[in-house]
Parts: sequence; C-alpha cells; structure tokens
Amino acid sequence: MVVIAALVVAALVLAASVLGLLWRTTTGRARRVRGPVVRPHELGADALGARATLLQLSTPMCTQCGPTARLLGAEAAARPGVLHLEVDVSERLGLADRFQVLQTPTTLLLDADGRVRGRIGGRPRPDLLARELDLLLESPA
Amino acid sequence: MSAPVAARPTTVDPRAPRFGAAITAVLLLVDVFLGVAGSTLASVLLLAAVTALFAWGAFAGIRRHPYGLLFRRFVRPRLAPPGDLEDAAAPTFAQLIGFVVTVAGLAVALAGVPLAAPIAAGVAFLAAFLNAVFDFCLGCELYLLLVRAGVLGRRR
Repeated sequence: MVVIAALVVAALVLAASVLGLLWRTTTGRARRVRGPVVRPHELGADALGARATLLQLSTPMCTQCGPTARLLGAEAAARPGVLHLEVDVSERLGLADRFQVLQTPTTLLLDADGRVRGRIGGRPRPDLLARELDLLLESPA
Repeated sequence: MSAPVAARPTTVDPRAPRFGAAITAVLLLVDVFLGVAGSTLASVLLLAAVTALFAWGAFAGIRRHPYGLLFRRFVRPRLAPPGDLEDAAAPTFAQLIGFVVTVAGLAVALAGVPLAAPIAAGVAFLAAFLNAVFDFCLGCELYLLLVRAGVLGRRR
C-alpha cells in the first residue's frame, strides 16, 4: 500500500506540473481573431479609442487583473488614440457569454471600428502585447 | 483610462498567499499519501486540520491567516519589497473554494466512504500546487464560472 501511495503522490505532482506548464505556455499570448464589433454602450463607456481599444475583461476576484490594468494602461497611454477600458464581466454577464470568457483577465484588442482583432487570455506578456498593438495600428482595416 | 473594477482596497503581498499555498500543498500531499497507504484516521484528521485552516482564511480573510503571519514575520524580511500588491479579496475567495472542496471531502469521508479524504485532498492539492508554483489561482478563475452558472450572485 505504501508503494501505491508513493506512486499516487508522484503521479499527482507530475500531473499538476504538466497542467501548470501547459497553462504557462498558453497564457498571456495574443491570438489573432476577426470577431464581432463591440459598441461602447455595451461596456458602459462613452466611446472607444479613436485608433484602438484594449478591452480588459476582469472580475473582482482576480489576482492578475490589477497588474494587467497597469500594464494595459501604460501601453495605451504611450500611444495616441489608444484607450484602455476595464469592465467587470461578473456585472455584465452578457459580455462574458458573448465572448465565452472562461478566465480573467481576458483582453480583447479592438480596432478603430470596435471590431475584435485579437484576444489575450491571462496577464499579457508585455513584449507580445506591444507587438500585437503596433501591428493592429499599422493595419487599421 | 478606466474605472469600474477599481477600488482595490485591502491589498496583500502576492507572495504571501503563494507561500501559504506551498505549505497547504505539502500538507495535502501528505494527506493523499496517508489516505492511500491505509491510514484512514490520520488522513481524515489531517484533512480536518487543513479544512480548518481554509475556513480561517475564507472567513477571517487571507490577511489574518496564520500562514500570512508566518510570512510577514520570517519570510518577508528576507525578500525585496513586492513589485505589485494584489487585492486580498481574490486569495480570500480562493480559500473559500478550498474550504468547500475539503469540507465536502470530510463530510463524505465521515459518512464512511473510503478514499473520500485523499480524493478531496488530491483535488485541493492541484489548486494549491498551481498557485504556489505557477502563480495560477484556480479558485479565482472559478468565480466568474460560478457567477455565469448562477451559483453566485444574481443572473440578470
């Protein structure tokens, strides 16, 4: 029984490590998509960014949402016409359903028309975020 | 800029909950070992202790958790100041999820179901390990899923 117990323990640690590594390789990376158009009123906002919007979907129970907000805020502030909007999706469940949000933060990259052009699950990697954002600004349509 | 999710009032050094999660993960792993090795009583008792610690974190708040005191007393002085503080609400909620999982396992184990304690401990271990090693808060991610499913809050 002791041998089986040791094997179970080892298998658990291995499984948890594999899960963690899988999560780490996928999190924070931008996926290019061509999604629907988001309207400002859906977000409780007056307007979107003139050139692009970083739409951060958060909840109050989210360890990475604060650091993500600071990162997105800084990236937006460094580029004219780019706006960072943070929305509590636990208050706007329609958005959570529409974009099938399973993890927070999820960041949607919107172009000048409000169309979803990219999606980042988890805390964005700063270098990849900057690259995706610059690419989006260079190819407005 | 933006407003909504602002108001992040009580904050915590993000390394404190991870430190606590590491201790919890080790305790839960020992619990799995004891349970599978046949020491049912020891496994149930240890799970009861971990459940009580989760309850402490969930209901008194993560900042009052004994692991947090340990961290501030012995670990924090040896580290550089944290780069970012995080909202205490999220790790406190994760403690509540841990409490629900372990208290359910405890109840089923006390009802006489074999291996209930090590199975619950294994599930909770997964979350504690991911938190400690990878800084991934599984309990926090469940919040939105539970709200979307209508278990928490009000579905509009």
